[in-house]
Amino acid sequence: MIEVKDLRKSFGDLEILKGVNTTIERNEKVVIIGQSGSGKSTFLRCLNRLEKPTGGSIVFEGTDLTTASEKQLYKVREKMGMVFQHFNLFPHLTIRGNLTLAPVKLRLLSKDEANERAENMLRKVGLYDKADSYPNMLSGGQKQRIAIARALVMNPDVMLFDEPTSALDPEMVGEVLELMKQLAAEGMTMIVVTHEMGFAREVASRVLFMDGGVIAEENEPNEFFNAPKNPRLQSFLSKVL
Amino acid sequence: MDAFIQKLYDTFIYDDRWKYLTNGLCTTLIITVFAVIIGMLLGFLVAIVRATHDRTGKLRVLNFFAKIYLTVIRGTPVMVQLLIIYYIIFASVRVDKTFVGILAFGINSGAYVAEIVRSGIMSIDPGQFEAGASLGLNYPKTMLYIIMPQAFKNILPALANECIVLLKETSVAGYIALEDLTKGGDIIRSVTYEAFLPLIAVALIYLVIVVGLSSLVGKLERRLKKSDRG
Repeated sequence: MIEVKDLRKSFGDLEILKGVNTTIERNEKVVIIGQSGSGKSTFLRCLNRLEKPTGGSIVFEGTDLTTASEKQLYKVREKMGMVFQHFNLFPHLTIRGNLTLAPVKLRLLSKDEANERAENMLRKVGLYDKADSYPNMLSGGQKQRIAIARALVMNPDVMLFDEPTSALDPEMVGEVLELMKQLAAEGMTMIVVTHEMGFAREVASRVLFMDGGVIAEENEPNEFFNAPKNPRLQSFLSKVL
Repeated sequence: MDAFIQKLYDTFIYDDRWKYLTNGLCTTLIITVFAVIIGMLLGFLVAIVRATHDRTGKLRVLNFFAKIYLTVIRGTPVMVQLLIIYYIIFASVRVDKTFVGILAFGINSGAYVAEIVRSGIMSIDPGQFEAGASLGLNYPKTMLYIIMPQAFKNILPALANECIVLLKETSVAGYIALEDLTKGGDIIRSVTYEAFLPLIAVALIYLVIVVGLSSLVGKLERRLKKSDRG
């Protein structure tokens, strides 16, 4: 579904990604872990081209995103939902407005269809009663659940999560992870950058350890956590577990 | 007391002199309203060009001209601009003075509006652009539906202030013999040799309009604040 070959990204002289190679299949739940500065967020942001790679290729459903035109890129992004660390809800719109803006303005759905879909999504994330509230009236956990719903309304083929629980108060992390687990169980293809090792263990089909701009180790979670081979991963796990 | 009433009569009633003020006010309002419209249109366009260039590196040529426009307009007094437009640009063309006034003040105001709007766009969290892009909304759509509504709310007080400044700045229109409110008061002064009453009247009229506009803006701001509660 997503094929990444020798992906490189530099900011000026600073090389963040130094040749990332991986293939992500449909229905996979890939969790990416690593220290801050290891390039995991940059990698994720390259996947939907929020960052422009400086080398290599990313092929998503047959389109090479590194050479795609702007127009193709926006089309592709409709199929790639993204959830941000800081939610990035639209504060000037109600929750309903947040969910329906993109499908309506992109003419994917009529206003009524979008509204119905939005309400279904809100029921799914358990926040139907907040439809007409504004984002600032919600707690962090609720905001992130809305952000997930907003991405889901677009009916994406894959969901990218960029540290979705890092900005949350501890007591709100659970509700967001619960929702993500539910999504995983429904078969959504997910790529998640996170520090939640419990989530990685429980949900991931594959865990990637990024270090120094490359994937230093990858494995299914049992093996990954119980028998890490890379010494850097061993020391990283000993600090976080 | 009788002397004062006599002065009032001479200044405003005799010979229908109050018409200098009402007609002048009309001209002032017409110039201000249309100049505000031109200024806003111009300002938003220039600001979007500047912000787009700063964020994406596109629109190089337009950005170059926008920068020249901003430098020239903000670097010279509005009165000089008014005189140049009237006596140089329209030197050989017979043209309605009110139109010249609207054009001059509109072009002038546009430069200030542009910088206000640009600061508004820059004040929006880049995450909002990213959220728009991640949903498949292209740059113009993101700008129109996500960035601008938020930026507009943030800059509303500054924009309203610009309108108020513009209203007051049009008082130099008399330099191209436009009979605006200030000029009207001055004409009365020159025929009655009485400065106090007409000039104070002019000042009061400006003040009432400005205070009225300010309170309207306050109301609008409170309404826009709705989404900030919580």
